[in-house]
Amino acid sequence: MDRVRIGDTAAFETLYDDYHRLVYGVALRVLSDPGSAEDVTQAVFMKIWSNPELFRSGNFGAWIVRVARNRAFDALRARAARPEDQFPEAIPANDALEDTAIAQLNAESVRTAIAQLPEEQRKLIELGFFGGVTHHEMAKTTGLPLGTVKTRIRSGLRRLRNALDGVVTS
Amino acid sequence: MMSHDEMLDNVALYALGALSPREAADVAAHLETCEECRAEYGLLRPAVTAVGYSAEADALTEGPSVLLKARLMKQVRSAQPAQPRISRWPAFAAAACLAIAVGAGLLSASLRERLGRDESAMAQQSAMIADFTAPDAKRYPFGHGSVLVHGRNLYLAMHGLATAPAGKVYQAWTLPKGSKKMAPSVTFKPSASGETLLHLPEAANAVAAVAVSVEPAGGSKQPTTKPIAVTLL
Repeated sequence: MDRVRIGDTAAFETLYDDYHRLVYGVALRVLSDPGSAEDVTQAVFMKIWSNPELFRSGNFGAWIVRVARNRAFDALRARAARPEDQFPEAIPANDALEDTAIAQLNAESVRTAIAQLPEEQRKLIELGFFGGVTHHEMAKTTGLPLGTVKTRIRSGLRRLRNALDGVVTS
Repeated sequence: MMSHDEMLDNVALYALGALSPREAADVAAHLETCEECRAEYGLLRPAVTAVGYSAEADALTEGPSVLLKARLMKQVRSAQPAQPRISRWPAFAAAACLAIAVGAGLLSASLRERLGRDESAMAQQSAMIADFTAPDAKRYPFGHGSVLVHGRNLYLAMHGLATAPAGKVYQAWTLPKGSKKMAPSVTFKPSASGETLLHLPEAANAVAAVAVSVEPAGGSKQPTTKPIAVTLL
């Protein structure tokens, strides 16, 4: 990113090669439309090129996942009025733990870890991330008590975090 | 009054982005002052990131069009930077001059060989030099090199190309305007030093994009590998 900040197009191209599938994949899961997902992918990378200072510090992969998700929801809102449900893109500085964990992520191992979550936890987590659904909406949709929704999400994320540690140390 | 355990549940929802804006603001404010919740947030954030990463697998099987990158890079190169940056143009200009010098050098050597025995070839190569040095020629960055358009003439100038694997050649492709299907152009092998300079047979004004891929010897009717370079014109 340092080279992108000074306008190095070759560095930007490398950044695109490394992250475009991640951005496109997130946008596709949110939007379920390849054309719209491509538009979001292009918009995300143009935003990075035009405003590289938006990424301040921390893990770039973690940041761009959140940017992709938020821009995909922007696109959804453009289709139909939706409440704001963005989550923070800023990454706390010096989060070495996250850097280590994410540096070792690969889509297939992560997918396996997620698939191993109990279904009732996995569905709620994916609904929250890719569906942009609040916990109130989840409770209403599933008929589960609000407290159960919250507990399942927290337990699921903790379980996934532990599984990631397995990925990292394996 | 919310218990601290309930707040920890909300921290998980905050990390996932599943809170209403007002609830998210409350959690953000709480995180400023509560070390235990900050630690929980730090613990769960990579798990949320991993949920996002799981979507990358979808793009591995059905990724975005290769033309998306070409569109983006074209937009990037034409975009005015939002802030003062170190200009890359001197480097590009130097690279372009070098490419021209290398091209002109190759052509001159070739011309010397043919001088006096193939005037039509000499005229053709002179025309190439004229195209490469024309002030209104358009250059499009293309992998390690460029695609050059002058009038109806379309050239491919690349350097740093590896020798094609045994039984393989490089193949140029053009996307006819109004078409969504790449059309095969010439196949080629770079020089021992990895350079190639080609005059593509297609009329530049009928072409919307150019690509190069590695194909089986003899070429393919449709690209069988991911292009190593693509540009929109």
